[in-house]
Amino acid sequence: MYVRPFDYLRVDSLEAASQALIEQGPGSWVIAGGQSLMPLLNVGLAEVDILVDISRVRGYADVTYTNELIEIGALATHRTLEKDAAITTGAPLLAAAIGHIGNVRVRNVGTIGGSVAHNDPAGEVPLVLAVLGATYRLDRGVDTRSVAAAHFTKGSFETVLSRGELVATVSLPPTQLGSGWGFHEFAYRPGDFAVAAAAATARIQDEVVADLHLGVTGLGGGPLRCRSFEEAALGAAPADLAGLEHLISSDFGYVADSVESSAYRSHLATVMAGRAVADAVRRSMAAA
Amino acid sequence: MTGVRTTIVVNGSDITRSGPAHYSLLRWLRDLASVFDVKYGCGEGVCGACTVLVDGKTVSSCLVLAVQVDGRRITTLAGLAGADGPSALQEAFIECGAAQCGFCTPGMLLAATEAVASGELTGRDDIRSALHGNLCRCTGYQAVVDAVESVIGTVEPTRGF
Amino acid sequence: MASEEVRRSKAADLKVVNQPVRRRDAAEKVAGTTRFSGDIGPHGLVHARLVRSVVAHARLVSRDVSAAKAIDGVIAVLLGEDVPNNEVWVDVPGQETEIAALKASMQVLATERVRYQGEPIALIIAETEDVFAAAEQAIEIEYAELPGVFDVQAALADDAPLVHDSGNLLAEWNISRGDVESAFAAADVVVDGEYYSQAVDHAYLEPEAGSAFLNDEGVITLTVATQVVEHFRDVAKILGVPHSKVRILAPYVGGGFGGKEDMTVEPYLALAVYRTGRPVRMVWTRQESLVARAKRHPMVMRYRTAAMADGTVLGHDIDITADSGAHAFLSALVLLYAAVTAAGPYDLEHVRLRSRVVYTNNAPCSAFRGFGGMQVVFAYESQMSRIAQQLSMDPGDIRKQNALRVGDSLPVGQPIETEVLLGATIDAVRAAAGPLPVPSHADAAVGRGFASNIQPYGRLVWLHDTATAWIGFEHDGSLAVRIGVQDIGAGQVSALAQIASEVLSVGMEDISVHFGDSARTPRAGTTTATRMLYMSGNAVHDGCVELRDHLLGIVARARGVPVERLAMVDGLVRSADFELSLSEVVALAVRGGEVIHVHHTFFGPTGPPAITDLATTRVLPDFTYGTHLADVEVDTRTGLVRVLRYVACHDVGRAINPVTVEGQIAGGAVQGIGQALLEEVVVRDGVNMTGGFFQYLIPTSSDVPDIETIVLESGEGLGPFGARGIGEPPIGPPAAAVANAIDDAIGVRLTRLPMRPESVWEALSAGELPS
Repeated sequence: MYVRPFDYLRVDSLEAASQALIEQGPGSWVIAGGQSLMPLLNVGLAEVDILVDISRVRGYADVTYTNELIEIGALATHRTLEKDAAITTGAPLLAAAIGHIGNVRVRNVGTIGGSVAHNDPAGEVPLVLAVLGATYRLDRGVDTRSVAAAHFTKGSFETVLSRGELVATVSLPPTQLGSGWGFHEFAYRPGDFAVAAAAATARIQDEVVADLHLGVTGLGGGPLRCRSFEEAALGAAPADLAGLEHLISSDFGYVADSVESSAYRSHLATVMAGRAVADAVRRSMAAA
Repeated sequence: MTGVRTTIVVNGSDITRSGPAHYSLLRWLRDLASVFDVKYGCGEGVCGACTVLVDGKTVSSCLVLAVQVDGRRITTLAGLAGADGPSALQEAFIECGAAQCGFCTPGMLLAATEAVASGELTGRDDIRSALHGNLCRCTGYQAVVDAVESVIGTVEPTRGF
Repeated sequence: MASEEVRRSKAADLKVVNQPVRRRDAAEKVAGTTRFSGDIGPHGLVHARLVRSVVAHARLVSRDVSAAKAIDGVIAVLLGEDVPNNEVWVDVPGQETEIAALKASMQVLATERVRYQGEPIALIIAETEDVFAAAEQAIEIEYAELPGVFDVQAALADDAPLVHDSGNLLAEWNISRGDVESAFAAADVVVDGEYYSQAVDHAYLEPEAGSAFLNDEGVITLTVATQVVEHFRDVAKILGVPHSKVRILAPYVGGGFGGKEDMTVEPYLALAVYRTGRPVRMVWTRQESLVARAKRHPMVMRYRTAAMADGTVLGHDIDITADSGAHAFLSALVLLYAAVTAAGPYDLEHVRLRSRVVYTNNAPCSAFRGFGGMQVVFAYESQMSRIAQQLSMDPGDIRKQNALRVGDSLPVGQPIETEVLLGATIDAVRAAAGPLPVPSHADAAVGRGFASNIQPYGRLVWLHDTATAWIGFEHDGSLAVRIGVQDIGAGQVSALAQIASEVLSVGMEDISVHFGDSARTPRAGTTTATRMLYMSGNAVHDGCVELRDHLLGIVARARGVPVERLAMVDGLVRSADFELSLSEVVALAVRGGEVIHVHHTFFGPTGPPAITDLATTRVLPDFTYGTHLADVEVDTRTGLVRVLRYVACHDVGRAINPVTVEGQIAGGAVQGIGQALLEEVVVRDGVNMTGGFFQYLIPTSSDVPDIETIVLESGEGLGPFGARGIGEPPIGPPAAAVANAIDDAIGVRLTRLPMRPESVWEALSAGELPS
């Protein structure tokens, strides 16, 4: 309510934004939907000197769908993506996860680029994009680079973005034929921050697991791929997967106590993971 | 700090004010434009008391800068009533007792209006889901859900605001 | 008809009362035109903000505000030394000391010591809110931290850090009836339980807010979101001015629940006007409210309950320790309500109760819907269900068997004089609930539980409660009601219009109600203690009867007919031979120089003051009884509890407006479900961890099912038309109903609130999992 006053600059291109951020220095932040940043400013948990507004930059709000790739502009709102046919058919895991973000108001203006850049350790979008193997195009003026989701995150709220560098697009390989997905989140109320969440994709072929990705979040530090479980699952029959669930937590690493105890957090992540895998397998078998 | 001149179309009327750039839309509406049917409840975007429609979509006005909506059309509660009186949803709120203290009511009505206009509500669970971003401490939501349910199927969903 | 007769009217005779009329404030609230306290303010307002302690317990070594004062836009920065009477004293009733009645004090702005995180230290007054952040940062406060105590047991230890020099024990109440030791010796079953009810926040949607200015006559005029306009006396005392120099108005308030019962912004608004002469506004941020505003008293409640195999509950041995937090506020009274209702709505021969409320360095605790009567429901209704299980008895049967009846008394000696429909409320919710829902997934277990409660309405009798109303006709036959009621959302004002309309047969649209002005409306007292409908409703009702009879008498004399042959109905005065419109009657009265108004005071019952060892004939006017039923589904792997179905039933005596009554029951039930499952003020080592709506979780529409409400009307309440109060009662049963349902679902008895998923999971992991 009592923010410390700051200045404002609206730009009409990402290049202009990058330039402004570089010129203005560490007191300058970019704002698009503002749904993560504004609460922090309003309650005094963050202070800025100037906000650079990219919410009206054109050309980055759409979804393009080809055989090879789904390309999503960074300024596409969550609400758009939730409803877009290309996402609901081509990346249903993402559509499902987005439905868990906050409430309609947050999703009406919050952007996928914003979620990616904010990198909330309990965020649904970073989790799902890691599991789907997304790639981000990062622009800084005329410089551009592609970074895989797995390499983009450095920790809670920390990414590889350098000053002035902005997420421009998010690219996903479309879902493979015969593939299934699963998403489960534990929150105290619908729309709340995830205490634990899991996202999985699976493809059953010839009655065994041909492919399986599993990620969890909520343990601190951002999304985690459960590689031990993924490896052991390959070639296993669906009925045997429950017996492998003890491997899920072997990749968790150190989990601290927070509001919830370490033991409960790990347990929740494991339960969510198991349920996500079960749904992914079930959907894959139904698609066959 | 020099003021930024911002024009926002509020309930169909142009309002132009100069104010600091850091003013949220909520603050701009209340402190500069004397629009009081948007309320401050938390400043976090959680409670929904500050809800407005921007180009027909609900937004937390405490989380949007006024300058970000320069030139846009916004609707507050006052904009829901038509020429012949309160909207069907507003009438239903009155009839069902869905406003007790009334403080959450502006946001709740706008959220309900957006939900009904979507045409996607099929029953009480959908209604509860659509409204879970608007907190109420008085009604227990019962009369609110009753009011929205009574309107589904009796009014044409609309998309224009 | 005499007042008594009218009060006990059969529902069938009522035309306006007991009808679901549209509340008079509904249209404006739905149109958004209602001006709440934060929307109102004169031109040229300045803004005020408190600077609050960041630590829980410390000596204030220095407070340097000089740099802040120098900031452009800052008008003043006030400290405790700028407050004419900085100490606010409250009575702590019933506690004997050597000298006099116990009192407790707190400061408007702390000068030497702070005792909780958030305690106010300085007041910034500025031209604009935009300089607040800079001004706060420029204020330098040096704290010498003192050891703090955050747990009531630790606070009672001999070597505990003292929160107040008078000691950490603030107040005690004891009750002794019968002989509990012999009861335990004779009992077939004895059940021990220790229950914990947590601190919760009111979380009204409207934060604390108000504005103030100095009028032309030097009266400091405040408009405040308050439940008590009569705090003008306390404000006057703080400023050292005559009471007549402070005026408080309460427009429609955006929720209170007891959180706007004590003063919040009032002293600071008044101080700002007093010191600067400028009109001022203050709105607390949600975050400051969640941290610093007074909370519900946490209570540790130990019960030992004895019963016989035939279902007779012999009694309880009860020990309650409540956490007052850093200041007294209303703690002694909250504990009193808990003590008086601690045995529940049951007739028990043996009750020993010892209770105490204790200072800690947590946030202060004060009034919250239920006022002590809420916390104990969790304990006594958990115990009743456990006793039933031990005796293999139906939980409804054991409650009905032991329920209070007219002629019984509460353990303290309070007689039960109005009908107790407890059994009927139990039967009603069980009949309405239907079959248990089917679990929705493989890891789910479902269960059903219910809980009954007793909650007082009306204030403690030794407070000599009154409410006064002025009711008068206008010359055109319309009606004005002037009464100091504060409307906090439960339709307090609308109900009065209904009552007046019923008695005087004036249409609702022809009645104006002027309310909530400490200078210009007759004093009606506080909107608290579920007293407003009872007290102000009776004042308006009885005043209207008096006015009606007065006018009928005028017509009788003018027309030479016996007054018994006249009736006031449908806006007319009618006899067998003629009828006059009310405006004609009024004109007749005016021509004859008669008054066309009344000024009527309703007096509540009175009694002797309570003392520490409670044993008295009457403490409270009367009670409301009810039962709630919950069906829950427990995810046995995560511990998440969802309420699938909820039915609530209360005997409200007479529902003045059935829609309003149902709304109160649904709202109270949901607030209670929030306390049962979701809400907790978490303070670790004096630091509040739930200072935002992201962390302090209240129920949303997705967190609760439909609340089915069943309203019974015994007609035996002491309020108008036989009404009882309904504001507080519905918040009592939910926690125990849900706990009993969880126990039914998974065989686990949870005894600490909130019943978080992790607690459920821990209990499941420790015990056997259901098959």
